[in-house]
Amino acid sequence: MSKKVLVVDDDPDVRSFVVTVLEENQYIPLVAQDGVEGLEMIEKEQPDLVILDVLMPRGSGIRLYRKLRTDENLKHIPIIMFTGIALRSFLKSQKVLDEFKGGEVPEPDIYLEKPVEPEELAAAVKKKLG
Amino acid sequence: MSANKILIVDDEEIIVKLLAMSLRSDGYEIVTANSGEQGLEVFKSESPDIVVTDIKMPGMDGLELLKKIKEIDSEKEVIIVTGHGDIDSTITALQYGASDFINKPVRDEALAIALERAKAKIAIRKKLEEYTENLEIKIAEATEEIRRKSNFQRLLIKSSNDAIVAFDHDWKVVVYNPEAASMFGEAVKDVRNKMTIDDLYTPKIAKIFKSQAKEDKQQSTLPWKENIINTKDGRQIPVRYTSNVLYKKGEFVGTVSFFQDLTEIKRLEKELVQSERLAAVGQTISGLAHYVKNILIGLKGGSYVVDVGIQKNNTDKFKTGWDAIKKNIKRVGDLTQDLLTYSKQREPEFEECMPNDIANEVIELVKDVAESNGVLISKEFDNSIGKVIADPQTIHRSLLNLINNALDACIDDEDISKKHGIKVKTYKDKNNYFCLEVKDNGCGMDEDAQKQLFNPMFSSKGGKGTGLGLLVTGKLIEEHKGVIETETSKGIGSTFRIKLPLEKPNAVDED
Repeated sequence: MSKKVLVVDDDPDVRSFVVTVLEENQYIPLVAQDGVEGLEMIEKEQPDLVILDVLMPRGSGIRLYRKLRTDENLKHIPIIMFTGIALRSFLKSQKVLDEFKGGEVPEPDIYLEKPVEPEELAAAVKKKLG
Repeated sequence: MSANKILIVDDEEIIVKLLAMSLRSDGYEIVTANSGEQGLEVFKSESPDIVVTDIKMPGMDGLELLKKIKEIDSEKEVIIVTGHGDIDSTITALQYGASDFINKPVRDEALAIALERAKAKIAIRKKLEEYTENLEIKIAEATEEIRRKSNFQRLLIKSSNDAIVAFDHDWKVVVYNPEAASMFGEAVKDVRNKMTIDDLYTPKIAKIFKSQAKEDKQQSTLPWKENIINTKDGRQIPVRYTSNVLYKKGEFVGTVSFFQDLTEIKRLEKELVQSERLAAVGQTISGLAHYVKNILIGLKGGSYVVDVGIQKNNTDKFKTGWDAIKKNIKRVGDLTQDLLTYSKQREPEFEECMPNDIANEVIELVKDVAESNGVLISKEFDNSIGKVIADPQTIHRSLLNLINNALDACIDDEDISKKHGIKVKTYKDKNNYFCLEVKDNGCGMDEDAQKQLFNPMFSSKGGKGTGLGLLVTGKLIEEHKGVIETETSKGIGSTFRIKLPLEKPNAVDED
């Protein structure tokens, strides 16, 4: 059975790009356009992988990433960060939150800085889902 | 201290004895002599307070004795005893400084009165002496105080961090402290009491001070001003200075000026401006890079989707990708226009136009996007605005920018329970402006964001804004002699208001 991959990104151009890449590689794409919708979708659809943007209105990727990495029921879902924000800035913001909220959130396994070639994105998804 | 010791001089021994007896019983201490010569000896040895002497005596007479005594101590009281009608001697005695006269035969009462008078005189003189002495002490004290104060003032002037220069009424330098010396580059010894204002200052600065002295008869203190001092050795020193014109009873007596060297402060200010400018340029460039990167992402993604559409002969894919490409091409166009508007001076092109119609056009442009995001746009137009003379481009672009911002604020609002709306209002205000107001109930801004609103490349929209929108709007409005106002509250919403001068076309055209 094909695996479900959720794209959370507020930019429709990015969504259509990622959806196309996923379709081309025989995955089932799901889309959400902000952090809040993303979490709803994850809880409802239990995707096999989440491709997550960082800067979004209504519940940023920073917050959603934290939620996915600390929630016992969602921890197992792999994440690919896909964003225009430099990894350094993302890690820094997580570190600030670590200090502020306590606890430590692991670094993302795969962090892709936009723009990427479709092959690169497909390879990253394959690496996670086989 | 009472005058108690009396010397009695008479060649008639019996008179001396009688007088001595009578005065001793009055409580005086009495010394006696029987001749002028002896009288002088006793006077020298006993130093009596009062001398009572007969005028006619063999050898040294009373006048002679009086003269000698007065030579020794001019302040001794000498009472002369005279015979009747001896006017000449009396006058001579007066000339010699006798203090009183009594006639022979000496009556006790007359003597007593004369003695009292002499004593009173002595007492007065004593008092006077005391006063005089006190006065001297007081003067000495005052002098010391003045000296101390003047030393203190001199020290103050000398150690002041301000350069202090004072001129007298002939414009000669009378005060010139070490700080002034280091500022003007002339040693204190070469300047004070030697130079005039024209020697010390360049003609330009000298003129300022001279005209100040001439002009203000009433207000004699200048507020602090800044200027550049050109020293004689060719240095340029930025200074902050003030000057007081000094008057005494309405007469010009001189001026005193205080200078503060601003070299270091100016240097720091310059550095600050420089680093702020660098930071702004850095911010601008990184903001731009981010925005361009987002466009690139859209174009790349779009072209990939188009490729897939062609390969798979999938019209939907093809269309989606192509739309993404067109949208991003438009973003490049908008960015270019914003950059050009911001980078060059543009004169508004005034023509007859209808602000309400322009507002309607703009609302039509964004209505669909707003509706698809669940944002309702409402209008409240003042139809009496009618035709005005303004730049329709300015109105169009500014309003479009503000409505787009309002839309973003609604879409970005984390409170999804709100029914989001934007209200566009036009009206005339009492200061002869026509106003275009855009009010939203979106996410609003905190104070920090509000402060940065009109800074280049500040964007609260993550990577999705150029950071140029409000900046360009602000510039357009400014060039149009208008104002832009903001009210915002985090979580409640924002109101942006453009006010442009209301200029009506000729009355004939009015409807």
